Amino acid sequence: MQGLRMSESKWVWPPKFPKWGYRKRANFRTGMLFLLPWTIGFLVFTLYPMVTSLIYSFSIYHSRQPLEWVGLQNYADLLKDDLFWQSLSNTVYIVGIGVPLTLLVSFLCAVLLNLKVSGQSIYRVIYFLPSIVPTVASTILWLWILNPQVGILNSILESIGIDGPNWMSNPAWSKPGLILLGMWGTGGTIVIYLSGLQDVPTTLLEAAEIDGANWWQRLWHITIPMVSPITLFNLITGVIAAFQYFTQAYVFSGFQGLGYPLNSTLFYSVYLYQNGFLYLKMGYASAMAWILFIIILICTLLLLKVSARFTYYAG
Amino acid sequence: MKNKLFKIFALFAMASMLLAACGGQVAATQAPEAKVLRVWIQWGDNPQQIQTLFDKYTAETGIKVEVTAPVEDDKILPAMTGSEPPDVLVLSGGDLVKSYYREGLVDDLSGAIQSGGIDLTDFFDAPLQQCKQGDKILCLPWGTDMYALFWNKDMFEAAGLDPNTPPKTMEELAEFADKLTVRGADGNLEQIGFLPDQGWDHSELYVRMFGGFWYSDDGTQLTANSQPMIDSLTWQQQFYTNYNADDVMALSSGWGDAYMSADYPFYTGKMAMYVDGEWMTGPNFISAFKPEASYGVAPFPPPADHPERANTAVVQGTVAVIPAGAKDKDASAKLLAWMMSPEIVAEEFCFNANLPTSKKAAEDPCFTENEKFKVFMDLMASPNAKHIITTPISLEFNDAYGLVFEQVVHTGADPKPLLDELQAEFAPKLEEALK
Repeated sequence: MQGLRMSESKWVWPPKFPKWGYRKRANFRTGMLFLLPWTIGFLVFTLYPMVTSLIYSFSIYHSRQPLEWVGLQNYADLLKDDLFWQSLSNTVYIVGIGVPLTLLVSFLCAVLLNLKVSGQSIYRVIYFLPSIVPTVASTILWLWILNPQVGILNSILESIGIDGPNWMSNPAWSKPGLILLGMWGTGGTIVIYLSGLQDVPTTLLEAAEIDGANWWQRLWHITIPMVSPITLFNLITGVIAAFQYFTQAYVFSGFQGLGYPLNSTLFYSVYLYQNGFLYLKMGYASAMAWILFIIILICTLLLLKVSARFTYYAG
Repeated sequence: MKNKLFKIFALFAMASMLLAACGGQVAATQAPEAKVLRVWIQWGDNPQQIQTLFDKYTAETGIKVEVTAPVEDDKILPAMTGSEPPDVLVLSGGDLVKSYYREGLVDDLSGAIQSGGIDLTDFFDAPLQQCKQGDKILCLPWGTDMYALFWNKDMFEAAGLDPNTPPKTMEELAEFADKLTVRGADGNLEQIGFLPDQGWDHSELYVRMFGGFWYSDDGTQLTANSQPMIDSLTWQQQFYTNYNADDVMALSSGWGDAYMSADYPFYTGKMAMYVDGEWMTGPNFISAFKPEASYGVAPFPPPADHPERANTAVVQGTVAVIPAGAKDKDASAKLLAWMMSPEIVAEEFCFNANLPTSKKAAEDPCFTENEKFKVFMDLMASPNAKHIITTPISLEFNDAYGLVFEQVVHTGADPKPLLDELQAEFAPKLEEALK
């Protein structure tokens, strides 16, 4: 693409080959060749499945028989489907409570890990380690941690006089249990926050300190605004990941049936999977996928718009 | 320089395409490879043993058979819809077979039964029934399962009960359960007398004991809110609500996935009675994990006012299908016929301690020499042995029923209105699916 830039002062499309010299054309071809693997991958593995799933969403899909076109029927049925709304509300719970909590915990961990203390890098490794444990393995591990009889969490709670809940079989506690699990594997977010914290200019912090600002004031008035673009990034990626919440829920309720207990862990993607791959209602599942796509798109755009108020970009 | 690079790149690309094309021609002119049949089995505690079994087919026919066992659930549907499905697929249960048939993913086996010379009269009736849809046979049972009551004799003795006498009625079972349920000094439950859904939901057995099922016998009507359904849920509910459902669940959910370990609550004195299948009496479960366990097995008892329902049990289990996309249907049919032969059924299911589906195979002494296993063999021959009824909406309905089950049994809800809702939602779905 360098050729494009070199030929004109601004981007021109379609490129006007006749005006280009030999070298520029060669550059363009080379650029296109380098782009080709990604382009083919995108067309075959992303765009094509997206377009076909959009078509399926307006039909009843049969894998070995022709599609039955039903127009908006799948979408209309979804709006009347109680489980659709329940799965959406379960997912919104994770998005609305789990994501902010995880962000808060990651930020606090990052602030602590940014303190100049001896063994700092060891602490950083310890906090990052859980995030490289495969999700399935960490979920199974947490099934033991949350075990009401022999789990370490309830043992700790008991030692301070709290009667721990039935994390796995009480619908009021299953989602908080999953959020705890999510917080444990938040190393990636911590690392991103850490990099942001290291970019906070020490001159500002020192100036504030000289002016008499205490630790909390420096954190609230300097550090948090300075890392706000990082917060926005973590928030958007966190929200997108939470809307697609699947693996942990699948493993968590796997022994008892998806959604256990009382469909409290029936998240949007789990219900989508159930419809598409268990009930063989691929058209219905495709409609769900498109609704999810639109929900995520709207949320992301809203966050970007609202973020202008709380995000500070130096310079 | 860049131009040169581009030319070299293009040359490589052309050369590799040419080589690939030549490769194809070479392969095409070579002799066709020896036939390999692929068998996928959804379960598989011992994959090596299953492969060794199918190696016998290779020895007899020269046709190689590759067994994949266990196959992960998620791989089955893509394979069935793709261009390379297995030649024979063995599913853990018949729940999905009718949905698969509706989607055109599996064949009606009538042709394969004829061409493979499979003798349908050699099958026990109950397991074969689950494969029938009208006059079509969509699968063939290959070994099957039944459920009965297991009781821990040591716990019976400790509770002052005769360790050799299981409850005779469902009402007596509840009384025994009460005596066998123990709370510790702190008020927490320490052991449970009977857990109706230990492992998984056994409603099909209890509903049959109350004289019905959630489908009509021909599978064309939904009877989700019938009296036997209400009675079954109400009966199961008492084992939770009588002891504070939260307490029962705190204890039982702590058992985790101990099924295949010495920590299973039935061995560790945490649960005195429960319902389980015939395989537990074989070499791979109780004898392996807790050989010293003192336990008994008996047919699940009937309600006191219906003694004629004694020896009622529900047959459900492994079925074999031929995927519609299988390349060589004739070869699949022959392999299927070999799998169904009495000798192979006897060998496979003696080893795994599952019930044989072939009457001739059932004559093998290995099925009757273990007294506890014989309880299940007798149940299979009982006139009250029923088959599990499946429909094209089985899986979806089962999940929805599962929710009602949880609401009623685990949280004490009234079953009637919930079952009415279930009936209203799924009766039209069944009607639609059967069109």
